[in-house]
Amino acid sequence: MNPSLTPLLPGQSNNVVHVEKLSKKYKETVAVNGISFSLSKGEVFAFLGPNGAGKTTTVEILECLRAPTGGQARVLDYDVSKRSDQGEIRKRIGVLPQDFNAIDRLTVRENIDYFGAMFDHQLDADQLIELVDLKDKRDSQFKTLSGGLKQRVGLAVALVNDPALVFLDEPTTGLDPRARRDVWYVIERLKKQGKTVFLTTHYMDEAEYLADTVSIIDHGQIIASGTPDQLIDTHGGKKTLIIRDAGQEGMSQLPPGLPKAELRNAGDIAVPLNNGELTDILMRLGQTPLHDKEIEVRRPTLDDVFLNLTGRRVSEEGT
Amino acid sequence: MRSRIYTIINGHFKSWYRSKSNIFWTVAFPLLLIVLFGAIFGSGSTKFDLYLQNQDLNGNVATPLSQGYVNVLNQTGAFNLHMVAAEQPDPLTYVKNDAQLHNRGQRLLVVPLGFNATLMSGKNATIQLYMDQSDQASQSLAGIVHSVTVSYAAKIANAPDNLYVQQVGIVTRNIRYIDFFIPGVIGMTLLTTGVFGAVNTNGRYRELKIIKKLATTPLSKIEWILGMVGYQMIIATISLVVILFFGYAIFGVTATLDIYTVGLVVAAALLFPGIGMVLANFVKEAESADAAANAITFPMMFLAGTFWPRETLPDIMKLIANFMPLTYINDGLRDALIYAEPAQALTNTLIALGLAAFFIVLGSLLLNWKEE
Repeated sequence: MNPSLTPLLPGQSNNVVHVEKLSKKYKETVAVNGISFSLSKGEVFAFLGPNGAGKTTTVEILECLRAPTGGQARVLDYDVSKRSDQGEIRKRIGVLPQDFNAIDRLTVRENIDYFGAMFDHQLDADQLIELVDLKDKRDSQFKTLSGGLKQRVGLAVALVNDPALVFLDEPTTGLDPRARRDVWYVIERLKKQGKTVFLTTHYMDEAEYLADTVSIIDHGQIIASGTPDQLIDTHGGKKTLIIRDAGQEGMSQLPPGLPKAELRNAGDIAVPLNNGELTDILMRLGQTPLHDKEIEVRRPTLDDVFLNLTGRRVSEEGT
Repeated sequence: MRSRIYTIINGHFKSWYRSKSNIFWTVAFPLLLIVLFGAIFGSGSTKFDLYLQNQDLNGNVATPLSQGYVNVLNQTGAFNLHMVAAEQPDPLTYVKNDAQLHNRGQRLLVVPLGFNATLMSGKNATIQLYMDQSDQASQSLAGIVHSVTVSYAAKIANAPDNLYVQQVGIVTRNIRYIDFFIPGVIGMTLLTTGVFGAVNTNGRYRELKIIKKLATTPLSKIEWILGMVGYQMIIATISLVVILFFGYAIFGVTATLDIYTVGLVVAAALLFPGIGMVLANFVKEAESADAAANAITFPMMFLAGTFWPRETLPDIMKLIANFMPLTYINDGLRDALIYAEPAQALTNTLIALGLAAFFIVLGSLLLNWKEE
């Protein structure tokens, strides 16, 4: 007898995904190099890294689209390498591939029904349309939608079988900021519903905003894992005090004892902060001509984490 | 499984009828071609084609009365006379082949050996007119031949009853250009919708990641292909019905629908998408695949006897045409729909089905359902 579609973890483990020493080699290229990680039920997990780091390859192995060349991967306690298990995995996962487009000349509703019909069990299309906030576009053909709306259709399609695990591969790439926010909003709603979400992204802010846990992958290897806060605390470096628009003149007006202060391109001065230093520095600044400048304390981000770990910024590598 | 295949067919079909350009290329364009080609080549001469074999020779020269009869026929201006050599042992077969080659009516008038002597002796002579009784043009032609003959007999011997025209029915049909063309247009439409349809769904859908998405669902590759073939069969049937109805309504083309027609439609719905899938596999980008599809379909269209009989092609082209799958679909459709030649239709249907099996299996094996 087939296990029911939800909540479904046939084994003892609470791990929805369990990956151990997973590798994928293409002739001379090593796309994924012995990575290990786990993903618990109800968790939003972000797989973070630049293009070509091995994110999509890993995800596609977990989606049973590619065969691993080494190691093990289990999804919902099924083995991705076993043919008999692959069918069971496909019934239970929802997938939004990178750059996915639905069928141009079918309406939003028809597209949801089309992909829903591939499963034995499907959620009501109207319910999904409501979830992704597309009621007004229900009967519009897919080709008439903007990029952000198209991506929301993709999210609805990924959820049509009420999956136990949702893979979202670069869900906001190429979207404008407003459309990105809309997609984030839908993912937040999934999180509230207790869905387990496997998100790949090269946007640090996206991972920081949405994810419970993050693994950073670079050149096919995981270089750090943890909650966003843990990663920032461990690898993000110091907080920075920013004095806006102070220019070269501002540098000469700084109080003594701030040797690491630097002038950045926009004319801002950045002063690295050690713990407990902030009040003292602010008081000293108040006695200089810089006291009327706009001042901001910037917390390190995952971008800084990546920079500190690799010496590069993800944003420098393009999308 | 049935529901998934139905969904695939339904999705393709909706995408088809919601696209104006699809409707144009599948329905309007073939009809436009029929009207254009029918108007250009269909009208032809108002004269009747008539093959004539004068067997009444004295040495190598026609006898006076037989030559006089031929001259009178010629002078009416009603006929394009095509002479068949007297020594031709099987004039009917010769006429059949030659008429098909030149798109002429298959009608043969035979002036028998001893025509001159019989008339001179005041006895009755019989001229045989071979023609298809169901051919309306032939009926008019027979009437003219009869009148000319009676008046000739009256003129030479004042005995109009001395000459008698015996009409002999022949089974070959008089094929007009438009009769020849209609099955060709059907073949062409099946070719283009099949090849381009498969290139589009397997090339473009791959670019749009629709195939990747489907591969993460329980849908299997074989269900996807069955859905595509099912959709092609529906489109092929619509094309066939629309074109035949139009041909009948505008040009009076009557077609025979039989089991071979069904076999050929099934073969085409497998064969051409199969070719499209092979192309889509070798040429990854949808746009290039489209260009490759054009490069394959255009020569096939022109060489495989869509617009004109292959017999008119140079020998080397005829040879190439033998390797083109559309040749067998076109020939089979003509044999089945128009010529009513079941034996030839069967041969072509079997060849087409064989090619269809080969290409759909090859296309399916090459179709990259998962890893790229």
